[in-house]
Amino acid sequence: MALVKLVGLKKTYQQGKIAVPALRGIDMEIESGEFTTIFGPSGSGKTTLLNMIGCLDKSTAGEIIFDGHSINNLNNKELAEIRRHNLGFIFQSYNLIPVLTAFENVEFAIRLIDKHSKKERREKVMSLLEEVGLGDLASRRPNELSGGQKQRVAVARALIKEPKLVLADEPTANLDSETSQEVLEIMQKMNKELNTTFIFSTHDPQVMEYANRLIEIKDGMISREQRRD
Amino acid sequence: MKLLINIAFKNLFRNKLRTGVSILAVAFAVMVIVFTRGLLDGMVDSTYSLYIHYDTGHIKIIDEEYQQKQKLLSLNYTVNGLENKGLTEMQEDLAALDGIEMVVPRLKFGSAVSTEEELVKMLSWGVDGEKELAFTNIEREISEGRMVESGKREILMGSELLNKIDKNVGERVTMVYTTAFSSFQGATFDIVGKIESNLPLLNEDVVFMPLDTAQELLYLDDEVTELLLVTEDRNLTANYLPQLKNYLNQNGGNQYLVQTWREGSSFIQLLEMSEVIYNFIYVFLVLLASIVVINTMVMIVKERTQEIGMMSALGLKGSEILRLFMLEGSAIAVIGSFTGAIAGGILTYYLSGVGFDYSAAFQDIDVLMNPIIYPTFKFEHMLMAFLLGVFVTALTSIIPARRAAKLNPTEALREI
Repeated sequence: MALVKLVGLKKTYQQGKIAVPALRGIDMEIESGEFTTIFGPSGSGKTTLLNMIGCLDKSTAGEIIFDGHSINNLNNKELAEIRRHNLGFIFQSYNLIPVLTAFENVEFAIRLIDKHSKKERREKVMSLLEEVGLGDLASRRPNELSGGQKQRVAVARALIKEPKLVLADEPTANLDSETSQEVLEIMQKMNKELNTTFIFSTHDPQVMEYANRLIEIKDGMISREQRRD
Repeated sequence: MKLLINIAFKNLFRNKLRTGVSILAVAFAVMVIVFTRGLLDGMVDSTYSLYIHYDTGHIKIIDEEYQQKQKLLSLNYTVNGLENKGLTEMQEDLAALDGIEMVVPRLKFGSAVSTEEELVKMLSWGVDGEKELAFTNIEREISEGRMVESGKREILMGSELLNKIDKNVGERVTMVYTTAFSSFQGATFDIVGKIESNLPLLNEDVVFMPLDTAQELLYLDDEVTELLLVTEDRNLTANYLPQLKNYLNQNGGNQYLVQTWREGSSFIQLLEMSEVIYNFIYVFLVLLASIVVINTMVMIVKERTQEIGMMSALGLKGSEILRLFMLEGSAIAVIGSFTGAIAGGILTYYLSGVGFDYSAAFQDIDVLMNPIIYPTFKFEHMLMAFLLGVFVTALTSIIPARRAAKLNPTEALREI
């Protein structure tokens, strides 16, 4: 069974009296453990598609089936529950909470789930921070970290709750190529070790090299698809 | 919840100046409330006491007709007992009623003293010296000599009045007056005491003399112009009225008017109304301060839009985002209100010893009011202002918090 299944997905934004179609009918299946990249020119609908899969936005038509359940008719509270338990997000601009340390930022995601004791949480967060190479910087605040370090914290935050799916919207856009590579390697390692499903949106050819599936989007439709072993 | 409290608390330090200004606005409003309440309370309390002591008692009994002629100091409408009882017996009966502690008789009439330059008019009060000492605070105001004693032809008067007639304690003075039969007469008195008071009434107008002496001079044996009743609790005065009216009705005292201290003076009614109005002003003051907090929080929501989007993406529900911002608003409310309540308390405590001199403002106003107002320091004023500050400010922070909670996560994430 596919982790994510999109059937005839459409999204139209209303800008004043003009209807602007962002997605014109997407059919797609993502299997567990895939490392998928969605690419395409600016305005092609990559971020909109990611938002739909990430339960952040509702479609105009079509159906989204996540883990065997249709999410079309869920209310905001139910969608938040799905995001809280099953999804991890990595953003282009990191979006860390500036008043919290690296440790606390990562811990934030599992504290929302609230199924671990304080000690368990601590061990889990520290071990993941070690994995992403930030064991020594756990007590630093975001303004004391470099761009690459911040994105590693964001990766750790997305993975800490062991989500079924991680969505990354242009995660390397603000990083230099060396740092991008480091971050991508961490994500690839997690994908292999934990079998976490990743979906990226990107322009970056470097990101595409890591993906085992490439989906190109143009004008709100899938124009090309390629699988790699 | 602990997580949200932790973040809300840390968020307070993100922009210290802005948080500081918001806290200061709330603190200032709360401080003003504590102080204003203290000031008003001090003013009202002292004014109520003065009116009760020197005008209305807790309950005042006068002849119905006398109410209209009070200003003229008419001696034609006196309290002179009941159908089959004299004044003395009536007083004894009244004192025996439930809740009545004392009956204070007063016989008020106009008099004058002639000096070389002018005729100094004065307000003579025939009083029971012992009862006046027990009921009023006149003893504190006597700076020299003593209160008048019954059976003697003596007077006690204010220092200003003594200056006007150029006399001192120990000297004698001749006063002229009109009797109940409208005959013009004069009598000479020993000056046995001097009053030094902030209250113009006592300092410049009133002359105290023994009641029996006044009754003898005016040909008003066993008659007074008013009876003041002192009850156990001035706030429960209305409770004692039915039995009192019943007593007067049963004994043919229908000509008498019974007034509580609240009804007896329009100025007291005005003060009571002003207390109610001030309660609205307090709420209005805090609302004004809340606008600063709302403004600050609207800016915060705008600044943190992307962060709100991220939190929403991580699974924070709208209600949790609402709580997060309300916690931040509440923290400002609690810290500001606490600081304001303490500052207001300190200010009021200090001024309760020093007082405010309003004498210039009250010079030409005919009200019984102590020209030096001492604000009352009360812990309950601080508590009330603190709670009002917290409640109103925290409640108004719902406005920006709701705005944050309603943000669409995808739009919020797009915000730069």
